[in-house]
Amino acid sequence: MPSSPDPLYAGLGQALRVGTTLLASLIVGGGLGWGADAYLFSTAPWGVAVGLVLGLIAGVRSTYRSVQHWE
Amino acid sequence: MENPLHIFELHKIVPLSLFGLDVSLNKAVLVMFLVVGLVALLMTGTCTSGSLVPTKRQSLAEMLVEFLRGMIHETMGPEGMRFFPLIAGLFLFILFGNLLGLIPGSYTVTSQLVVTGVFAMGVYLLSLVVGFQLHGVKFLGILVPPGTPGWLLPLMIPIEMISQLARPVSLAVRLFANMTAGHVILGVLFALTLSGGWMIGWLPFSFTVALYGLEVGIAFIQAYIFTILTCVYMGDAFHPH
Repeated sequence: MPSSPDPLYAGLGQALRVGTTLLASLIVGGGLGWGADAYLFSTAPWGVAVGLVLGLIAGVRSTYRSVQHWE
Repeated sequence: MENPLHIFELHKIVPLSLFGLDVSLNKAVLVMFLVVGLVALLMTGTCTSGSLVPTKRQSLAEMLVEFLRGMIHETMGPEGMRFFPLIAGLFLFILFGNLLGLIPGSYTVTSQLVVTGVFAMGVYLLSLVVGFQLHGVKFLGILVPPGTPGWLLPLMIPIEMISQLARPVSLAVRLFANMTAGHVILGVLFALTLSGGWMIGWLPFSFTVALYGLEVGIAFIQAYIFTILTCVYMGDAFHPH
Protein backbone atom coordinates (compact mmCIF):
# COMPACT_ATOMS: atom_id res chain seq x y z
CA MET A 1 0.00 0.00 0.00
CA PRO A 2 1.25 3.48 -0.78
CA SER A 3 2.25 5.77 2.00
CA SER A 4 1.02 9.32 2.25
CA PRO A 5 3.17 12.21 3.44
CA ASP A 6 1.55 12.07 6.87
CA PRO A 7 2.06 8.69 8.56
CA LEU A 8 -0.83 9.11 11.02
CA TYR A 9 -3.24 9.91 8.23
CA ALA A 10 -2.10 6.99 6.11
CA GLY A 11 -2.15 4.61 9.07
CA LEU A 12 -5.68 5.59 10.01
CA GLY A 13 -6.73 5.23 6.40
CA GLN A 14 -5.31 1.71 6.24
CA ALA A 15 -6.80 0.65 9.56
CA LEU A 16 -10.27 2.01 8.85
CA ARG A 17 -10.74 0.18 5.58
CA VAL A 18 -10.04 -3.33 6.87
CA GLY A 19 -13.49 -3.95 8.34
CA THR A 20 -15.56 -3.01 5.31
CA THR A 21 -13.49 -5.19 2.99
CA LEU A 22 -14.48 -8.22 5.05
CA LEU A 23 -18.12 -7.15 5.21
CA ALA A 24 -18.44 -6.34 1.52
CA SER A 25 -17.11 -9.75 0.46
CA LEU A 26 -19.65 -11.43 2.72
CA ILE A 27 -22.46 -9.30 1.28
CA VAL A 28 -21.44 -10.08 -2.30
CA GLY A 29 -20.94 -13.79 -1.64
CA GLY A 30 -24.21 -14.17 0.21
CA GLY A 31 -26.02 -12.01 -2.33
CA LEU A 32 -24.77 -14.04 -5.30
CA GLY A 33 -25.72 -17.26 -3.52
CA TRP A 34 -29.17 -15.91 -2.74
CA GLY A 35 -29.63 -14.79 -6.34
CA ALA A 36 -28.64 -18.24 -7.60
CA ASP A 37 -31.13 -19.80 -5.18
CA ALA A 38 -34.01 -17.52 -6.01
CA TYR A 39 -33.69 -16.95 -9.74
CA LEU A 40 -31.36 -19.45 -11.39
CA PHE A 41 -31.63 -22.85 -9.72
CA SER A 42 -34.05 -23.72 -6.95
CA THR A 43 -31.32 -24.97 -4.65
CA ALA A 44 -32.27 -23.08 -1.49
CA PRO A 45 -30.67 -22.96 1.03
CA TRP A 46 -27.44 -24.30 -0.46
CA GLY A 47 -26.66 -21.31 -2.66
CA VAL A 48 -26.65 -18.90 0.26
CA ALA A 49 -24.58 -21.29 2.39
CA VAL A 50 -21.93 -21.88 -0.26
CA GLY A 51 -21.95 -18.19 -1.23
CA LEU A 52 -21.41 -17.06 2.36
CA VAL A 53 -18.51 -19.50 2.82
CA LEU A 54 -16.90 -18.38 -0.44
CA GLY A 55 -17.51 -14.74 0.53
CA LEU A 56 -15.87 -15.30 3.89
CA ILE A 57 -12.82 -16.87 2.26
CA ALA A 58 -12.64 -14.05 -0.26
CA GLY A 59 -12.97 -11.43 2.47
CA VAL A 60 -10.24 -12.94 4.61
CA ARG A 61 -7.99 -13.32 1.58
CA SER A 62 -8.35 -9.73 0.40
CA THR A 63 -8.03 -8.39 3.94
CA TYR A 64 -4.88 -10.45 4.38
CA ARG A 65 -3.48 -9.20 1.10
CA SER A 66 -4.13 -5.55 1.96
CA VAL A 67 -2.54 -5.99 5.40
CA GLN A 68 0.51 -7.79 4.00
CA HIS A 69 1.95 -4.56 2.64
CA TRP A 70 1.91 -2.75 5.96
CA GLU A 71 5.20 -1.75 7.41
CA MET B 1 -38.43 12.10 20.35
CA GLU B 2 -37.95 12.66 16.65
CA ASN B 3 -36.66 9.93 14.39
CA PRO B 4 -32.90 10.57 14.07
CA LEU B 5 -32.99 9.38 10.45
CA HIS B 6 -35.36 12.12 9.34
CA ILE B 7 -32.39 14.38 8.48
CA PHE B 8 -31.64 12.06 5.56
CA GLU B 9 -35.09 12.36 4.03
CA LEU B 10 -35.33 14.28 0.80
CA HIS B 11 -38.25 16.37 -0.38
CA LYS B 12 -38.82 17.92 -3.77
CA ILE B 13 -38.14 21.63 -3.79
CA VAL B 14 -38.69 22.31 -7.49
CA PRO B 15 -40.61 19.50 -9.23
CA LEU B 16 -39.16 18.96 -12.69
CA SER B 17 -39.70 16.31 -15.29
CA LEU B 18 -37.59 15.59 -18.36
CA PHE B 19 -38.84 13.09 -20.97
CA GLY B 20 -40.90 11.36 -18.30
CA LEU B 21 -37.92 11.14 -15.94
CA ASP B 22 -38.21 12.69 -12.51
CA VAL B 23 -35.37 15.21 -12.31
CA SER B 24 -36.82 17.32 -9.51
CA LEU B 25 -34.49 19.49 -7.52
CA ASN B 26 -34.12 18.53 -3.90
CA LYS B 27 -31.74 19.52 -1.14
CA ALA B 28 -29.12 16.94 -2.10
CA VAL B 29 -29.04 18.15 -5.69
CA LEU B 30 -28.71 21.77 -4.57
CA VAL B 31 -25.88 20.89 -2.18
CA MET B 32 -24.11 18.96 -4.95
CA PHE B 33 -24.28 22.03 -7.18
CA LEU B 34 -22.94 24.06 -4.27
CA VAL B 35 -20.06 21.61 -3.78
CA VAL B 36 -19.10 21.77 -7.45
CA GLY B 37 -19.36 25.55 -7.38
CA LEU B 38 -17.21 25.84 -4.26
CA VAL B 39 -14.52 23.54 -5.63
CA ALA B 40 -14.48 25.42 -8.91
CA LEU B 41 -14.35 28.76 -7.13
CA LEU B 42 -11.51 27.66 -4.88
CA MET B 43 -9.43 25.90 -7.51
CA THR B 44 -9.80 27.86 -10.75
CA GLY B 45 -7.35 30.64 -11.18
CA THR B 46 -5.11 29.38 -8.38
CA CYS B 47 -2.20 28.83 -10.72
CA THR B 48 -2.92 31.26 -13.54
CA SER B 49 -0.58 33.83 -12.04
CA GLY B 50 2.13 31.17 -11.87
CA SER B 51 4.17 33.30 -9.54
CA LEU B 52 7.29 31.76 -8.04
CA VAL B 53 6.35 32.92 -4.57
CA PRO B 54 2.87 31.40 -4.24
CA THR B 55 -0.13 33.15 -2.82
CA LYS B 56 -2.13 31.39 -0.11
CA ARG B 57 -4.59 29.83 -2.54
CA GLN B 58 -1.84 28.88 -4.96
CA SER B 59 0.18 27.10 -2.30
CA LEU B 60 -2.95 25.23 -1.18
CA ALA B 61 -3.55 24.06 -4.73
CA GLU B 62 0.12 23.14 -5.15
CA MET B 63 0.08 21.10 -1.95
CA LEU B 64 -3.03 19.29 -3.15
CA VAL B 65 -1.51 18.55 -6.55
CA GLU B 66 1.69 17.25 -4.94
CA PHE B 67 -0.31 15.04 -2.56
CA LEU B 68 -2.45 13.53 -5.31
CA ARG B 69 0.49 13.15 -7.69
CA GLY B 70 2.41 11.21 -5.04
CA MET B 71 -0.59 8.95 -4.57
CA ILE B 72 -0.97 8.30 -8.31
CA HIS B 73 2.75 7.70 -8.88
CA GLU B 74 2.95 5.15 -6.09
CA THR B 75 -0.10 3.16 -7.17
CA MET B 76 -0.39 3.52 -10.95
CA GLY B 77 3.05 4.76 -11.92
CA PRO B 78 3.72 7.86 -14.03
CA GLU B 79 1.39 6.68 -16.84
CA GLY B 80 -1.51 6.99 -14.41
CA MET B 81 -1.20 10.77 -14.52
CA ARG B 82 -3.72 10.87 -17.36
CA PHE B 83 -6.33 10.06 -14.73
CA PHE B 84 -5.23 12.96 -12.55
CA PRO B 85 -8.33 15.08 -13.33
CA LEU B 86 -10.62 12.19 -12.35
CA ILE B 87 -8.77 11.48 -9.11
CA ALA B 88 -8.57 15.15 -8.14
CA GLY B 89 -12.22 15.68 -8.98
CA LEU B 90 -13.31 12.70 -6.93
CA PHE B 91 -11.21 13.72 -3.94
CA LEU B 92 -12.38 17.32 -3.94
CA PHE B 93 -16.04 16.45 -4.50
CA ILE B 94 -16.14 13.89 -1.70
CA LEU B 95 -14.13 16.07 0.67
CA PHE B 96 -16.31 19.12 0.13
CA GLY B 97 -19.46 17.02 0.19
CA ASN B 98 -18.44 15.61 3.57
CA LEU B 99 -17.42 18.99 4.96
CA LEU B 100 -20.48 20.91 3.72
CA GLY B 101 -22.70 18.25 5.27
CA LEU B 102 -21.26 19.11 8.67
CA ILE B 103 -22.74 22.62 8.52
CA PRO B 104 -26.00 22.47 10.50
CA GLY B 105 -29.02 22.68 8.23
CA SER B 106 -27.05 21.54 5.23
CA TYR B 107 -27.25 18.09 3.64
CA THR B 108 -24.59 15.38 3.43
CA VAL B 109 -24.68 14.21 -0.17
CA THR B 110 -22.24 11.39 0.60
CA SER B 111 -24.74 9.91 3.06
CA GLN B 112 -26.85 8.77 0.08
CA LEU B 113 -25.94 5.26 -1.04
CA VAL B 114 -26.96 6.19 -4.55
CA VAL B 115 -24.27 8.90 -4.76
CA THR B 116 -21.44 6.81 -3.33
CA GLY B 117 -22.65 3.75 -5.26
CA VAL B 118 -22.55 5.52 -8.60
CA PHE B 119 -19.06 6.83 -7.86
CA ALA B 120 -17.82 3.40 -6.80
CA MET B 121 -19.40 1.56 -9.74
CA GLY B 122 -18.12 4.15 -12.18
CA VAL B 123 -14.58 3.97 -10.87
CA TYR B 124 -14.59 0.19 -10.81
CA LEU B 125 -16.02 -0.14 -14.34
CA LEU B 126 -13.43 2.36 -15.56
CA SER B 127 -10.64 0.27 -14.04
CA LEU B 128 -12.01 -2.82 -15.84
CA VAL B 129 -12.16 -0.92 -19.14
CA VAL B 130 -8.58 0.33 -18.71
CA GLY B 131 -7.39 -3.16 -17.78
CA PHE B 132 -8.95 -4.83 -20.82
CA GLN B 133 -7.73 -2.02 -23.05
CA LEU B 134 -4.13 -2.41 -21.89
CA HIS B 135 -3.90 -6.17 -21.51
CA GLY B 136 -6.73 -7.63 -23.60
CA VAL B 137 -8.03 -11.04 -22.61
CA LYS B 138 -4.91 -11.59 -20.47
CA PHE B 139 -6.46 -9.17 -17.96
CA LEU B 140 -8.73 -12.05 -16.89
CA GLY B 141 -5.56 -13.37 -15.23
CA ILE B 142 -6.42 -11.17 -12.21
CA LEU B 143 -8.90 -13.93 -11.37
CA VAL B 144 -6.06 -16.43 -11.00
CA PRO B 145 -3.59 -15.61 -8.24
CA PRO B 146 -0.01 -16.42 -9.23
CA GLY B 147 1.18 -19.86 -8.14
CA THR B 148 -2.25 -21.50 -7.97
CA PRO B 149 -2.14 -25.24 -8.67
CA GLY B 150 -4.51 -26.33 -11.44
CA TRP B 151 -6.79 -28.46 -9.28
CA LEU B 152 -7.58 -25.43 -7.09
CA LEU B 153 -8.80 -23.31 -10.02
CA PRO B 154 -12.53 -24.21 -9.73
CA LEU B 155 -12.40 -22.96 -6.15
CA MET B 156 -10.10 -19.97 -6.60
CA ILE B 157 -11.88 -18.37 -9.56
CA PRO B 158 -15.26 -17.92 -7.75
CA ILE B 159 -13.41 -16.62 -4.68
CA GLU B 160 -11.43 -14.12 -6.72
CA MET B 161 -14.59 -13.06 -8.55
CA ILE B 162 -16.29 -12.37 -5.24
CA SER B 163 -13.36 -10.34 -3.98
CA GLN B 164 -13.35 -8.36 -7.24
CA LEU B 165 -17.09 -7.69 -7.02
CA ALA B 166 -16.68 -6.72 -3.37
CA ARG B 167 -14.47 -3.79 -4.36
CA PRO B 168 -17.18 -1.39 -5.55
CA VAL B 169 -19.49 -2.57 -2.77
CA SER B 170 -16.94 -1.87 -0.07
CA LEU B 171 -16.06 1.52 -1.60
CA ALA B 172 -19.69 2.59 -1.69
CA VAL B 173 -20.76 1.15 1.66
CA ARG B 174 -17.74 2.48 3.55
CA LEU B 175 -18.28 6.12 2.64
CA PHE B 176 -22.07 5.93 2.97
CA ALA B 177 -22.01 4.12 6.32
CA ASN B 178 -19.39 6.37 7.85
CA MET B 179 -21.18 9.56 6.95
CA THR B 180 -24.64 8.26 7.89
CA ALA B 181 -23.51 6.82 11.22
CA GLY B 182 -21.61 9.96 12.16
CA HIS B 183 -24.59 12.21 11.49
CA VAL B 184 -27.01 9.93 13.31
CA ILE B 185 -24.79 9.94 16.41
CA LEU B 186 -24.44 13.73 16.25
CA GLY B 187 -28.20 14.07 15.87
CA VAL B 188 -29.02 11.76 18.78
CA LEU B 189 -26.52 13.44 21.10
CA PHE B 190 -27.82 16.87 20.24
CA ALA B 191 -31.40 15.75 20.78
CA LEU B 192 -30.32 14.53 24.22
CA THR B 193 -28.84 17.97 24.87
CA LEU B 194 -32.12 19.63 24.02
CA SER B 195 -34.22 17.29 26.12
CA GLY B 196 -31.72 17.26 29.01
CA GLY B 197 -32.20 20.89 29.95
CA TRP B 198 -29.54 23.02 31.62
CA MET B 199 -28.99 20.65 34.54
CA ILE B 200 -27.61 17.68 32.62
CA GLY B 201 -27.67 18.90 29.01
CA TRP B 202 -24.06 20.08 29.13
CA LEU B 203 -22.87 16.47 29.24
CA PRO B 204 -24.26 15.31 25.87
CA PHE B 205 -23.44 18.73 24.48
CA SER B 206 -19.75 18.34 25.28
CA PHE B 207 -19.86 14.94 23.57
CA THR B 208 -21.49 16.59 20.56
CA VAL B 209 -18.68 19.13 20.34
CA ALA B 210 -15.98 16.46 20.66
CA LEU B 211 -17.67 14.20 18.09
CA TYR B 212 -18.06 17.11 15.71
CA GLY B 213 -14.27 17.50 15.76
CA LEU B 214 -13.91 13.79 15.09
CA GLU B 215 -16.38 14.04 12.21
CA VAL B 216 -14.28 16.78 10.59
CA GLY B 217 -11.32 14.39 10.72
CA ILE B 218 -13.45 11.58 9.32
CA ALA B 219 -14.55 13.81 6.45
CA PHE B 220 -10.90 14.12 5.40
CA ILE B 221 -9.99 10.50 6.06
CA GLN B 222 -12.95 9.06 4.17
CA ALA B 223 -12.25 11.27 1.16
CA TYR B 224 -8.64 10.10 1.32
CA ILE B 225 -9.59 6.42 1.60
CA PHE B 226 -12.01 6.60 -1.32
CA THR B 227 -9.41 8.29 -3.49
CA ILE B 228 -6.50 6.04 -2.59
CA LEU B 229 -8.57 2.89 -3.12
CA THR B 230 -9.59 4.27 -6.51
CA CYS B 231 -5.89 4.68 -7.25
CA VAL B 232 -5.11 1.16 -6.03
CA TYR B 233 -7.84 -0.41 -8.18
CA MET B 234 -6.75 1.59 -11.21
CA GLY B 235 -3.18 0.53 -10.44
CA ASP B 236 -4.27 -3.12 -10.56
CA ALA B 237 -5.61 -2.41 -14.03
CA PHE B 238 -2.25 -0.97 -15.10
CA HIS B 239 -0.12 -3.69 -13.48
CA PRO B 240 -2.10 -6.88 -12.75
CA HIS B 241 -0.01 -8.78 -10.15
